Amino acid sequence: MGAAMALATSGPVAAQVLDARPIVLGDGRVTISGGVTATFGCAAGPSVQGCGDDTGFFNYTDYERSALRMLRLDISAAVRASDRLALLAEVRSDNGRGPEPYALFVRVRPWPARRIDIQAGRIPPTFGAFARRTYPSDNLLIGYPLGYQYLTSLRPDALPANADELLRMRGRGWLSSFGVGNPVPDKGVPLVSAFGWDTGVQLHAATDVLDAAVAVTTGTLSHPLVEDDNDGQQVAGRVTVRPLPGLVVGASGARGPYVARSAAAAAGLDAGRRGLTQIAWGADAEYSRDHYLVRAEAIVSDWRLPIVAAPAIDSPVRAVSTSVEGRYRIRPGLYAAARLDHLAFSEIVGTNRRDEWDAPVTRLEIGGGYSLMRNLMLKLAWQRNTRDTTRTPSRTFVAAQAVFWF
Amino acid sequence: MPPMMLNDVVGSVRSTRAATVAAPGAAVAAVALLLGLLDAPLLSAQVGDRTGVIRGRVELGRSPASNARRPGVGDLGAAPQSPPEPRRAVVYLESAPRGAFEQTEPGRAVMDQRNETFVPHLLAITTGTVVDFPNSDRIYHNVFSLSKVARFDLGRYAVGRSKSVRFDRAGIVRVFCDIHSHMNAFILVFSHPFFALTDAEGRYRIERVPRGTYNVVAWQEGTSSGPRPATVPEGGTTELDFPRR
Repeated sequence: MGAAMALATSGPVAAQVLDARPIVLGDGRVTISGGVTATFGCAAGPSVQGCGDDTGFFNYTDYERSALRMLRLDISAAVRASDRLALLAEVRSDNGRGPEPYALFVRVRPWPARRIDIQAGRIPPTFGAFARRTYPSDNLLIGYPLGYQYLTSLRPDALPANADELLRMRGRGWLSSFGVGNPVPDKGVPLVSAFGWDTGVQLHAATDVLDAAVAVTTGTLSHPLVEDDNDGQQVAGRVTVRPLPGLVVGASGARGPYVARSAAAAAGLDAGRRGLTQIAWGADAEYSRDHYLVRAEAIVSDWRLPIVAAPAIDSPVRAVSTSVEGRYRIRPGLYAAARLDHLAFSEIVGTNRRDEWDAPVTRLEIGGGYSLMRNLMLKLAWQRNTRDTTRTPSRTFVAAQAVFWF
Repeated sequence: MPPMMLNDVVGSVRSTRAATVAAPGAAVAAVALLLGLLDAPLLSAQVGDRTGVIRGRVELGRSPASNARRPGVGDLGAAPQSPPEPRRAVVYLESAPRGAFEQTEPGRAVMDQRNETFVPHLLAITTGTVVDFPNSDRIYHNVFSLSKVARFDLGRYAVGRSKSVRFDRAGIVRVFCDIHSHMNAFILVFSHPFFALTDAEGRYRIERVPRGTYNVVAWQEGTSSGPRPATVPEGGTTELDFPRR
């Protein structure tokens, strides 16, 4: 034969029509990226007709928003003023609501050649591994780990007067109410919130093997804030070690007052000075090699409640989250993943019974993702939730998610 | 011996024997027929001396920074930055002389992973070439491509290790790292040897082009110039510049 086309493509970049690179302006001083995530899930099972709702609120992040039915738009920007100073921001819009600032902070690097940074403003979480991995393409599955999403019955603005009140709210974290403080039913808090960042100052230093960060913020892990609602600050720290290629081991700790000033006053206490704290410890590990990735994370969180009336809750209530997830890349662009989650709670003693203060939950999620392009991914997942309660003790979901980012 | 062209250009690889996978296939050949390209000159051993040179300069556009990172809002600190690689372009003959596909043999090229950057960012090879992807960083990388002409995923591997991919189909291959979203590169796979990478100033030189008239294209970061005609005289040199559009 004679001639042939030099490049057997009709377009310049046939396999990557949607550019995955961020928008770069000002000779590299401004970078802008963004993403769109559309998620839709249905409850499934013999007792469910059609596309069922999450009547157990297993995946809700507040009373109105479910992580399985969400259209999220987000835009991030970094403005680099110099080698030493940058401004970073992210705004999000969920389900068509107005954009909300998710992150807004300055990053100062006093010595450009050294990996020491100071960040101030609405800063990324110091604690744990998952909270900084909340971008959809980083999440192997569609749902969130229970420790970062599932709403316990505890609230910062309303407090149980005694153990009986807290036991009555077992498994009702999406809309709990207590006798002390705000009487309006509202959502409880997760162990660590992945849906809002705290405000404060963070110091970070890194080498090739070791990462360390410490932060002082206005809110707590379970209740991050922009404006302080009590008189205390949270101190959080994290250390990450990379002893081997592919292995990352981290440990985190945090301590801060979580009860709002109004609720503490209703209990006759000073919110910032009387030890109404959330204290949490976390450990996480990730190992990857070839086409495998395995992650594990555990979080132990204690909340101290005020003693208002009998039967009193005289010890901190504890929640323990454990999560293991893995991914195997089957072929280019296609992977399978699974996550097993459990949330356990300590026992308290009420007038008539001794029981966990919230209902233990177990979640198994199995799914996978297929990348149509580098920055356009489809995910499918099956999720089974079980909870130790009489009302909606279990729920199974099937969910799909499309993720685009640049 | 096969023609070796533009030896001084980084990232350009030439093959020296017949390509094991030819050519783009019947559909592309049909396209070529429709485009009336079959009257291109015959290339053979007998006409080996009747070749010329196409050279010139591509005015390199302000393409997006090749290794720009996403803002990294979730990071605890600033990520280490590597200096951007000079922009380069590839200049190639849109249609090749008859016989051009019978004179290459599989070559070998390297695309390193260094300082969280693919080096070089732009590689031009002929079909059948095997590209090695060594990891020179202390951290893991995961090279992959979802391009139609070459889908592969090399998995995660550590410093000092290397994996390879053989490119048997002509086309454009986007290369990424699954761990570091800012890492990206281009591999342009040609079914003939008449192409050249520019240097950092945009200069190029395609040698041993059989005499005749060709359409020449300049390509940079996913954008092609329109084809421009160039007539190569026997033993002569044709100047062809590509001004910025």
